[in-house]
Amino acid sequence: MADLRPILLVEDNPRDLELTLAALAKCQLANEIVVARDGAEALDYLYARGAHENRVPGDPAVVLLDLKLPKVDGLEVLEKVKSDPMQRQIPVVMLTSSREERDLLRSYELGVNAFVVKPVDFNAFFEAIQDLGMFWAILNEPPPGARSNGI
Amino acid sequence: MSALPYRAALEACAAEPIRIPGAIQPHGALLCFDPQTLALRQMSRNAAAMLGVELAPGPLPAGLSGLQAPLRAWLESGDVVFLKVLEVAGRRWQLQGHLTPQGALLEFEPPPQPDEEALESLYPRLSAFMADLSASADLAGVARAAVREIRALTQFNRVLLYSFDETGDGTVLAEANDGVLPSYQGLRFPASDIPEQARALYRLSRIRLIPAVDYTPCPIEPVNSPVDQAPLDLSRAGLRSVSPVHLEYMRNMGTGASMSVSILVNGALWGLISAHNAAPRMVNPQIRNACDILGQVLSMHIETRLQAGLAAERLALSAVEQSLLAGLAEAPSLQAGLAAHAAELLAMLRAQGAATIIQGKVWITGQTPDEAAIKAFAADLQAAGEEQFETDSLAQRWPQAAGFGAQASGMLAISTSQVHADYVFWFRPELVRTVEWSGNPVKAAEPVSGRLHPRKSFEMWKERVELRSAPWRPAEIETAISFRNAIQTLVLRRAEERAELTDMLERSNRELEAFSYSISHDLRAPFRHIVGFAELLSDRERSLDERSRHYVTTIKDAAVSAGRLVDDLLAFSQLGRSQLHKTRVDMAKLVQEARRLLEPELGGRLVQWRVEPLPDGWGDATMLRQVWQNLLQNAIKYTRGREMTRISVGGTAQGGKIRYWVEDNGVGFEMAYAGKLFGVFQRLHRIEEFEGTGIGLALVKRIVERHGGTVEAHGEPGKGARFSFVLPEAGHDKRKTISG
Repeated sequence: MADLRPILLVEDNPRDLELTLAALAKCQLANEIVVARDGAEALDYLYARGAHENRVPGDPAVVLLDLKLPKVDGLEVLEKVKSDPMQRQIPVVMLTSSREERDLLRSYELGVNAFVVKPVDFNAFFEAIQDLGMFWAILNEPPPGARSNGI
Repeated sequence: MSALPYRAALEACAAEPIRIPGAIQPHGALLCFDPQTLALRQMSRNAAAMLGVELAPGPLPAGLSGLQAPLRAWLESGDVVFLKVLEVAGRRWQLQGHLTPQGALLEFEPPPQPDEEALESLYPRLSAFMADLSASADLAGVARAAVREIRALTQFNRVLLYSFDETGDGTVLAEANDGVLPSYQGLRFPASDIPEQARALYRLSRIRLIPAVDYTPCPIEPVNSPVDQAPLDLSRAGLRSVSPVHLEYMRNMGTGASMSVSILVNGALWGLISAHNAAPRMVNPQIRNACDILGQVLSMHIETRLQAGLAAERLALSAVEQSLLAGLAEAPSLQAGLAAHAAELLAMLRAQGAATIIQGKVWITGQTPDEAAIKAFAADLQAAGEEQFETDSLAQRWPQAAGFGAQASGMLAISTSQVHADYVFWFRPELVRTVEWSGNPVKAAEPVSGRLHPRKSFEMWKERVELRSAPWRPAEIETAISFRNAIQTLVLRRAEERAELTDMLERSNRELEAFSYSISHDLRAPFRHIVGFAELLSDRERSLDERSRHYVTTIKDAAVSAGRLVDDLLAFSQLGRSQLHKTRVDMAKLVQEARRLLEPELGGRLVQWRVEPLPDGWGDATMLRQVWQNLLQNAIKYTRGREMTRISVGGTAQGGKIRYWVEDNGVGFEMAYAGKLFGVFQRLHRIEEFEGTGIGLALVKRIVERHGGTVEAHGEPGKGARFSFVLPEAGHDKRKTISG
């Protein structure tokens, strides 16, 4: 049973954005991909405010969140989502260039669902995105009693 | 023997009004005149009979009319004293006069007999004495010359010269003795032997004679002065009657006559020349005056010597201090510096022992209390906030110090830190153990029945100085304070240098961290993009010819290896920062894991493995796994092309260290390059021969060194290589993070 809610991709780097979109396209997912270019925009989408005030209601199936972002950075977005009882069930996957241990530790402290270091090798990157997209968009069921069920 | 009656006697003496005894000694007569009218105000009871004139208070008695002119001349001259031989009522008298608020006091004594030594004959003696003084090497020599001279002048049986120390205690410095009276050479007596008011009188009148101990005091009449209705002040009168306590003391000492000459240095009573005779003995005024002049010459001479001595002492102390400080400035630490210059440290303050406590660590030299006591002193001084402290009686402040009084009764301490309880201590032993009274105090003939006696004084002094050291002199305390300031400056400068260095290190560490963090983010991204877009391009353009595909593949490969290089470099730099989590590590298991991980790299090659039993290691398991992995990876890489690859692994423990090694039969290397192997980006082969970033062995070296170990490489071209690393065993690790 496919979850057709949108995937929120938060990425500021246009090249990474293009590559990630290409990888997701290869997966041939039916889900809509919503792109936010910084942390503030991501929060606007999640809370349906600002430019996203009139969006279709409902949580995204998964948030693919870059760690380093302008305005509000990835860890701040993660903290906001995971500390809000109305949002914390949304799966968040941290995508990062950083191999820094402290970023990893901090992400897990804040309740991240998965942490992916973007590999240099495109094939590996492609595989990772594919796995993630498939897993969270297709196989992952929202917990019972969650505020919305996409069907 | 109880000191109590002795103390009671001294207390009585201290309370006695000795300036106004209301009487004189009867070997002369005393008159007190109105200095304006020359009317007679008071007189000693013996005056009329002695002078052979009728005397009554009121206008100058007719019998004394001969005095009118000389007295007027004196009083109008403004001279402080009057000294003359005059004829009064038909007889010659030696007259001495001085002015007091209660009137002009005139003392009469018989003049010297013609056969007695005349003043002129004293002159050569005095100049010989002065030559003696200058020729004396030390103070003891000066004192000996003085007592010898006074004895020659007075013909008394025994003449002593004693000095008072800062506390007022007395020491007999020199003695001239004809053997009739016992010797007191070296005698010490407590300050209380001479009450303060008596000392004041010694300062006011420099010479005092008691020609006959058993004299009957002759009263002054009327008792009170008509000027102020108070008894006549006899402070400066030579005939003043002395305290009965003093007379008792004289009798107990078996002396019939005594004379004293004050030694005043800088206005203070520095010492006394004290002469005794077994039988009563008169010393005529001229001899007395000669003794007085001798005393003054002696005083000036001592004053000069002391000043010169003090200056020389300060100079000497400062020289020792400077040389000590120079030594300290070069020493690696304050404690090490002081230890290396222990002799100077002791010499500087004439101490028998010294100690330092620096950040809780105690160092001692010479005679000192034990470590626990030194720690207690430091804690106490720190609590009291005392930067400098000296005592000649440790037990007074710390009763427990009584236990080691022999080694340390005196202590001088200076603080060397504004923050910590760091101190330098000097110790001096108990003084009484270093002092002997060489005079024979238990001579059978000597009567010791009375309350007051030198033997009792000595006992009393010993009791008073029990658990006391020689006092710390002002020059020594000054030196200690200046030493403290110098040390504090030195310590402060060291701390500042250290803080500055730490600051610099922290700053450069932070910079490095920020740098590698931004590399990890920003440098990897472009390589990822190159690889990604090259991939997308080759996916899209299926029609590319062979050569174009080769180009795209090369672009991709180059970017991938650049990305790997960044990753390796980051891993390397992170090694320096990440915490070591040390535990006991099963090395055999790590080798097994690494072999499994490297299996794909063998590409089906046959390897003859020989893994000996490995002793457990002590360290961070994740990092040590990396070490094995890199070493085995190298062995596998450089044996490529061998018909039969042989790799052996082993380890032995010895002397707190364990050596592990990996040996292969690969291409090996020239030993000349062995040193380069462990450097970052150092390669000994061309990249197309053997791939890699050139970081593997650098990483090994860094990990091993962070564990406090060392690495080594041995090789021979074409034969093979052997890499080994040595780790400290648990408990031999200076930098251990878990106590084991």
